Amino acid sequence: MTDTAREEILARISEALGRRGGGEYVSSSPRTAVPGTGGTAHAESGGVASANTAATAADAGYHHEGTHTGESLIELLIDRLVDYKANIHRADGDPSATIAELIGGHSSVVVPRGLDSSWLAGYSGGVRVDAPGEELSVDELDAQGAVVTASAVAIAQTGTIVLDGSDECGRRAITLVPDHHVCIVRTDDIVDIVPEGISRLDAHAPLTFISGPSATSDIELSRVEGVHGPRTLDVIILSS
Amino acid sequence: MTFLGMPLLPSKRRSDLPGGQGNIIEAEAFPEASHEHLSNQQLRNNIGHATSTIRSKRAEVVSELDDWEALRDAGEATKNEVMANLPEYLAQFEEAFTAAGGIIHWARDADEANAIVTELIEDNAPMLETGRREVIKVKSMATQEIGLNEHLEAEGIDAFETDLAELIVQLGEDKPSHILVPAIHRNRDEIREIFMDKMPDAGELTNEPAVLAEAARRHLRHKFLTTKVAISGANFGIAETGTLGVVESEGNGRMCLTLPETLITVMGIEKLLPKFADLEVFLQLLPRSSTGERMNPYTSFWTGKSEGDGPQNVHLVLLDNGRTRALADEHGRTALNCIRCSACMNVCPVYERTGGHAYGSTYPGPIGAILSPLLTGVQEQGNGSLPYASSLCGACYDVCPVKINIPEILVHLRGEDVKANHSPVSSQLDTALTGASWMMGDGKRMAAAERGLPLAHKVTSGEQINALPGIASAWTSSRDIPALPEKSFRQLWAEEEANDRDEEGQR
Repeated sequence: MTDTAREEILARISEALGRRGGGEYVSSSPRTAVPGTGGTAHAESGGVASANTAATAADAGYHHEGTHTGESLIELLIDRLVDYKANIHRADGDPSATIAELIGGHSSVVVPRGLDSSWLAGYSGGVRVDAPGEELSVDELDAQGAVVTASAVAIAQTGTIVLDGSDECGRRAITLVPDHHVCIVRTDDIVDIVPEGISRLDAHAPLTFISGPSATSDIELSRVEGVHGPRTLDVIILSS
Repeated sequence: MTFLGMPLLPSKRRSDLPGGQGNIIEAEAFPEASHEHLSNQQLRNNIGHATSTIRSKRAEVVSELDDWEALRDAGEATKNEVMANLPEYLAQFEEAFTAAGGIIHWARDADEANAIVTELIEDNAPMLETGRREVIKVKSMATQEIGLNEHLEAEGIDAFETDLAELIVQLGEDKPSHILVPAIHRNRDEIREIFMDKMPDAGELTNEPAVLAEAARRHLRHKFLTTKVAISGANFGIAETGTLGVVESEGNGRMCLTLPETLITVMGIEKLLPKFADLEVFLQLLPRSSTGERMNPYTSFWTGKSEGDGPQNVHLVLLDNGRTRALADEHGRTALNCIRCSACMNVCPVYERTGGHAYGSTYPGPIGAILSPLLTGVQEQGNGSLPYASSLCGACYDVCPVKINIPEILVHLRGEDVKANHSPVSSQLDTALTGASWMMGDGKRMAAAERGLPLAHKVTSGEQINALPGIASAWTSSRDIPALPEKSFRQLWAEEEANDRDEEGQR
């Protein structure tokens, strides 16, 4: 049934685009989209897209690189994260004391397999390591007071931290089910604007963009932090 | 930026591609549907407050970006590019998504999509003791459009909405009235009543938003942790990599997208972006335009299945349901560029007064007034009235992050409606317009008509006119015509000219 639907929808699209002898199309590698070139490549008869790839993304007119560097970049990230009700801490070289202080009240926390174990040196509660083949069940995750992870990239302009499923960030469920997320952002991983952030990521990794803790504005548009995800987000900015 | 254009030339290509079905066809025409909403003061207050709040937030965060117009240009160009080469991008997407372990299903219309989703649920969600099955849902316009929840209910499947606003709407047995904040027409007292009435364990609640949000969390927590199948829409599909993405705030999206074993996504075929890098534009345009935030709290991207992380059965239903019909309209197809941000409805003076229900469609506001008729055809029930549900003030075009020229398409669709739905026999209006065109088409005739002004001014005693006969009564039934002036502009001009000449002569 669906094969027929597939062929029919593709044929309809070809007809809609005015391609005579509709239904013919290239199976892959259409021409690269170039944002900002303004023009639309009109498909030529026969259905093969025109191969006009004149401009590069750099011609698109919007910014590809930010202007903040060094301390002003960190300040911008902090400003934006505070705006989204995340709690900010700074650590130089060794975040273990800060981490211990933040999670000290929880009897048990979960960490991803690749997290630097020295970071938990000051914590005396139980540490559950979530690793491939030894994943915590959803109920076990629900019983953890907090989760401690690293991060892949942080975008200062929007106050966004990206987790990419790496060994340091963990699988997506561990940063979702516990109510308290302590996230370490290395200063080297801070970029200024969104395009710089996107260019550092691998599309094939499971990606989670986090800008502050869970929030809703569905009731009279007044913002409430904490609905279904972690209600508390502590960010430790770690200078090397 | 106000657009007051003439109808465009009729499209040369008259497509007879099938239109969409489901919740995009208005049973009642807009003028009738809007009538009762206009007199609902509570609704107008709620909506007026909400739209003005989002409007100012949006304006503030947009003004922070000095390259905003360049981002809009890039967004527009990228979506035009996708539409012009849609078969190629769909094929590329299909290949990449399948290679990553996902399974694609194609649905020509709402019925077919509903049937596919039902079958997938029956294969993957266990039958409960009640004899029914349960799924959790992330807010999705595509599933609203096809009426999925209603269909599933009839098939013995309970679909739980997990977005707070959708939950309010679902528990209140209501309909969404806004794309982004579906319960925008409800205030905190109404929401409190719905929750206490419909949530079994809610207990006594105050009307504080934080208390109400906490009640929703308790209500849904167990469902998130135990339900085997989730249904979502997608904000973007990346052709290059086969990646899907959902943009959200509450974490209910992350819950649905990562905890269940099976994830079924329903996405319109127009949602594609060519490359992963294109997200650098759209992740700036979308949050700022929709919630007025620099970035929404949570965005999830997944490419097929990730070993050991998230759902291991990943399905995607690619939906036509009238999109190819809209694509065939050369003057209207850019409506498919819409990224569902809802900025247009927040600035629309018509939406602000009628609310979303009056549009009778999943897609309300200015975008709904063009999208619904494009997907279904103007001859479908009330949809021919939607292109008139606008003042053509152009505010929607100004805020659209992908620069959809909504006013121009509205005018084009009015032309389509006149051709399709109105009798060729001359109406009173046609006669009046023919007369006006004869008179205004010639300067001498116009001048002759204007010479009657001083007389008309005397007859009306310089008062405003509040009732005209015949077809013109439709205008005066809700508006007054300003008092007629004593002299026409032409006469005033001639007098000024004469004065000037006199002054010149005296010098």
